[in-house]
Amino acid sequence: MAGLLLRRLGQGVLVIAVLQTLTFFLVRQLPGNPFLGERKLPEHIMAQLNALYGLDQSVWVQYANYWKGILLHGDFGPSLVQEGVQVSEIIAQAFPVSLLLGVLGMLIAVLVGIPAGMLAAWWRNRWPDALLMLAAMAGICIPAFVLAPVFGLTLGQWVPGLSVAGWDDALCAVLPALTLGLVNAAYLARLTRGGMVEVLGSDFIRTARAKGCSAPRLLFVHALRSGLLPAVSYLGPAFAGLITGSFVVETCFQVPGMGLHFVNATTTRDYFLLQGLVLCYGVLIVLANAAVDVVLMWLNPRLRTAQ
Amino acid sequence: MKRCYEEGHSLWRDARRRLARNRAAMGSLLLLLLVAGACFLLPLSPWVANPNEANLDNIAAACSWEHPFGTDQLGRDLLARVLYGGRISLLVGLVATLVATLVGLVYGLISGYAGGRTDALMMRTVDVLFALPFIVLVVVFSLSIEEPSRELTEYLVAATGWSRESVAPLTGLLPLFVAIGALGWLTLARMVRTQTLELKGQEFVLAARSLGLSHAAILFRHIAPNLLGTVVVYTTLAVPGMMLTESTLSFIGLGVRPPNSSWGTLIKEGADRMEVSPELLIFPALFFCITLLALNFLGDGLRDAIDPRSAKD
Repeated sequence: MAGLLLRRLGQGVLVIAVLQTLTFFLVRQLPGNPFLGERKLPEHIMAQLNALYGLDQSVWVQYANYWKGILLHGDFGPSLVQEGVQVSEIIAQAFPVSLLLGVLGMLIAVLVGIPAGMLAAWWRNRWPDALLMLAAMAGICIPAFVLAPVFGLTLGQWVPGLSVAGWDDALCAVLPALTLGLVNAAYLARLTRGGMVEVLGSDFIRTARAKGCSAPRLLFVHALRSGLLPAVSYLGPAFAGLITGSFVVETCFQVPGMGLHFVNATTTRDYFLLQGLVLCYGVLIVLANAAVDVVLMWLNPRLRTAQ
Repeated sequence: MKRCYEEGHSLWRDARRRLARNRAAMGSLLLLLLVAGACFLLPLSPWVANPNEANLDNIAAACSWEHPFGTDQLGRDLLARVLYGGRISLLVGLVATLVATLVGLVYGLISGYAGGRTDALMMRTVDVLFALPFIVLVVVFSLSIEEPSRELTEYLVAATGWSRESVAPLTGLLPLFVAIGALGWLTLARMVRTQTLELKGQEFVLAARSLGLSHAAILFRHIAPNLLGTVVVYTTLAVPGMMLTESTLSFIGLGVRPPNSSWGTLIKEGADRMEVSPELLIFPALFFCITLLALNFLGDGLRDAIDPRSAKD
């Protein structure tokens, strides 16, 4: 188990390095530059700005310097657009916001999706199943960027205290987290149903039932563990999906998280901020995948012995 | 002899029959044909207005015979905009899926057939790419090939004499096609590789080899056709995913750009003014969601038809 984790971590380092390198070179050859504003800057000022941020050097030197900054000093560089602000400061502010939204969204997804899938599997091919799966299909087909404005227009207006934009108090997290959560809940419900249906049809469940096992015990003690496998393996990709979701949700509700900064940084060509955010995303994805691996191994003994 | 052949049940004939019995899938197919037909054919008729023609005397009009869906904040006919937007959305979904399918199929075939160290290397590459945050890369990648696509426009205009207006919409979409498609092939590559590994150990491949067929002939004439089911199912289920990626990008302003508009950009415009005129959000969103729904039902139906073992119950 330790061996597998170690290998996964090694792969994670590779993933982050590849991601960082790809973004670095792709971003450097984007048309435009971070200093294009309303007014065109004179040549010599442009040259000085480039020199100040080291953008006048060759790409390879910049690349080496970037890694040196991060590995030796933990320095992500300055934001090129927001003057006098360090990328690390922006991330330090935005990360908790996105993390809170992500965790709340995941929680909603798990608390809605998995019970819904279990219920559907229990009442397979009867009306609760049909109803739940129809709802799940609708959840998959109504994307976050439709759900978000609709929530803003309906719940945001009807429920007093709910905010539809900004980030002032805890209630601001409700609608964004709900949007993020419901989209993932739909996938989780379908996967849980699939996994549970398979397990409930297996021999050991029939034996347990024949011996007079009660329904809750059957579901939660016997079936749940292996029935959850497909849903848990989806949590890794779901975590990556949360990043996509955060782009949409944070843009919609104007939440100052990493997604909003990422979208803005791509349009303003804020190289250092963009790379800092991408690095952050890479680390998060690697950690999430490792966590999912551990949970999967705990749930599925066959994975453990395969080592 | 001939009668035996006619009465045989091929995989595809069985699949077709199973699919025809699946009401949800057939309904979806019909719905899809209707939507696609409307998007691609209706604008050719005289009844649909020019989607870019502004009419400032008729801003945000309600539904009427002249403008079935009403007009937007610039007085443009919403029905026409939804239909033209649908063209772009469907086109991006289809072309990106095609790119992804081709790359994934060839990659998976080679990896599975070659085996050994080549296979290991190719699959580790896929593992690494798989762990990358897909959307982040798509954004950066599609931005970074914008310049080459603009150069391509200029080149085409100069070389062929086509008007810029007719070339620019297509080349403007190129970054999106390539970015979404080029990064969406990983799942298929894995599936194809697994099946190729299984197939290449079977007797008919051994027979083909002992007859002296080249590797390329074995791969494409004997192994690839057996993968058709997997590929068809994957493709149908991938289209909605690709359309979703495109629309998400367009929604946050990083996908389809003016003068093009897709369902994603229309939904964005609608979301911005939904308090004043909600139909600007409702109509494009309705078209988008129904198309996704139909594609998903059709994909599920195809999977159940081609591989009955995977059927849910």
